[in-house]
Amino acid sequence: MRILVCFKVTPDYEALRDADWVAGPGDAVRSRYVRRVLNCFDESALELALRLREALTQGDVVAGLGALSVGGRETEPFFATLHALGYERAARIEPGAALDYAPAATAALLAGYARRVDRSDLLLLGSRCGPGDSGTVPFLVAEELGWPCLTQVTDVEPAGDEGLRVTCAADDGRLGLTVRPPCVLAIGNALVSHLRVPTLTARLARRELRADVLAPGDVGVDLAITSGREPATLEGLERIDRSRAGVVVEGDTPVEMARALFEAHVEEAIARP
Amino acid sequence: MRFAVVLDGTVGGAGEQARALAGLLHKGMTVGAGAPGGPPDHPSSGVEGETLIFYDDERERDHLVALSPTVAVRLVRAPARRPDLVAATLAATTGEDGPDLFLVAGGPAGTEVATRLARRTGGSVLTGALDVALEPGRLLGRRQVYSNHMIGRFALTARPWCVAVDPSWAEAQAPACEEHRVLSEGDVTAGAGKPQFADLELTDPPSAGDLAEARVVVVAGAGAGSRDGVARIATAAARMGAAFGVTRPVAMNAWAPMERLIGVSGTRVAPALAIVAGASGAPAFLWGIERAGVIVAVNSDEHAPILDEADAVAVGDAVGVVEALADLVASPPDRD
Repeated sequence: MRILVCFKVTPDYEALRDADWVAGPGDAVRSRYVRRVLNCFDESALELALRLREALTQGDVVAGLGALSVGGRETEPFFATLHALGYERAARIEPGAALDYAPAATAALLAGYARRVDRSDLLLLGSRCGPGDSGTVPFLVAEELGWPCLTQVTDVEPAGDEGLRVTCAADDGRLGLTVRPPCVLAIGNALVSHLRVPTLTARLARRELRADVLAPGDVGVDLAITSGREPATLEGLERIDRSRAGVVVEGDTPVEMARALFEAHVEEAIARP
Repeated sequence: MRFAVVLDGTVGGAGEQARALAGLLHKGMTVGAGAPGGPPDHPSSGVEGETLIFYDDERERDHLVALSPTVAVRLVRAPARRPDLVAATLAATTGEDGPDLFLVAGGPAGTEVATRLARRTGGSVLTGALDVALEPGRLLGRRQVYSNHMIGRFALTARPWCVAVDPSWAEAQAPACEEHRVLSEGDVTAGAGKPQFADLELTDPPSAGDLAEARVVVVAGAGAGSRDGVARIATAAARMGAAFGVTRPVAMNAWAPMERLIGVSGTRVAPALAIVAGASGAPAFLWGIERAGVIVAVNSDEHAPILDEADAVAVGDAVGVVEALADLVASPPDRD
């Protein structure tokens, strides 16, 4: 089974200063200076795939792992980590343009690589990713490939005969079902949320490995054409004002501060019927 | 302008779907220069709508019709949990005389329906819609972006416009539609093809307890420092008779079960009082507590964003202050 995990590296939005959140036409948020992190849902997907491969291998199913990202050089350190963790295949598609609000183009590139280059059987990716946060990419990839898609996946394990037992959060409960690849799994609030850390030995052993760098044309995509298929156009950004009074209570000890909070707000709220 | 509301009774949560759809229709949709608030399918608005109901259980049929936010209803029998088939069925209704706008409830299944429908028809899609405005030749809509740090304004031009409605519209308490008229009935079960999934098993979601309904909520953030710190805050919450929730970093560290998560991908609470201990105040979390009547925050970092987003704050040890608060609740000080 050829497993492909698609991931995105984003700025750490929590590290941005208040002044960087710029409202106005288009997207003028300044984020170049902050550190890059894995999209949290993609991070779960990367770890889930490692665990799935281990479980499949124990069951004598041959499973290979690949990682794919659409982006620039900022993704390279993450590929080094993935190589050290045992991902055998790695590719980066350089789109040559920002695709933050271009889910159709992103999906076309991911699907093009899975179909034309990697010949994947199973595709894992986060259920949504910033800054666009549309949550549409997994479904668009599934449409491109003609595969079924399960979303809000929280766990996946082998189910015999190359089937997979998938757990996902549905509108009305927790859903367990068996699926036979090919399919797309969009990872949600997975129980597994952190990517493991490779050993230094593993890092050194695979330090020469690099991700293949591809252009959109290499996966059969013309971005000039896909741009006309984008499902929506960003017109501008607005700030969200969540500010409140922020009155700092006095006190030198936890007990003194608790007493001030208690008298100001807590006592009344607790006592109110 | 014609719109179609899609109520997918094959995936559960139909009541919630119907409330969210009615909420946006009545309070979040403007037509031309009008303001939201009027019945959207009143003839004077020039907007006509109907509801397409998908169902797999005959016993649910009448109940689903009663939930319809529009008078006009079309019924389609379909296999359970096949958003792709729902999208394909809807795609067949588009064209010259078809709807200009499809509205679906923005849960996991609805987002899939809207996205696949737009892709198959060459239309546009907006997910998590906070509002929509119909203008000549285009639809403008807003949704949260940047992990809830900002709101994005989007323009949809290619029709049909496929809009997945933000689930929070279910709380809008829009007026119910009392009268219904079934215009047609169909059945697409025969065209479903080979089942994509097997051994389907639905279990109740892990309980978030009384979080959603709680009057007082205590939330532990990563500033609790450890699993033990989180456990101490949970104990203090129980002593106060409060529901207990956590931020994403706490859940990701497995210091508390994921079902206690508060925020965009967890529970959204609306208590009279939220006590937030050791949380920095990430927007995705704040979305989960912003409807609280009063927010009290405790954080050792005097520059943490939460301090500007709370009504009252204490700069200090999160665990210690919450435990002291629990002591005061258990034994209120004598004011005499």
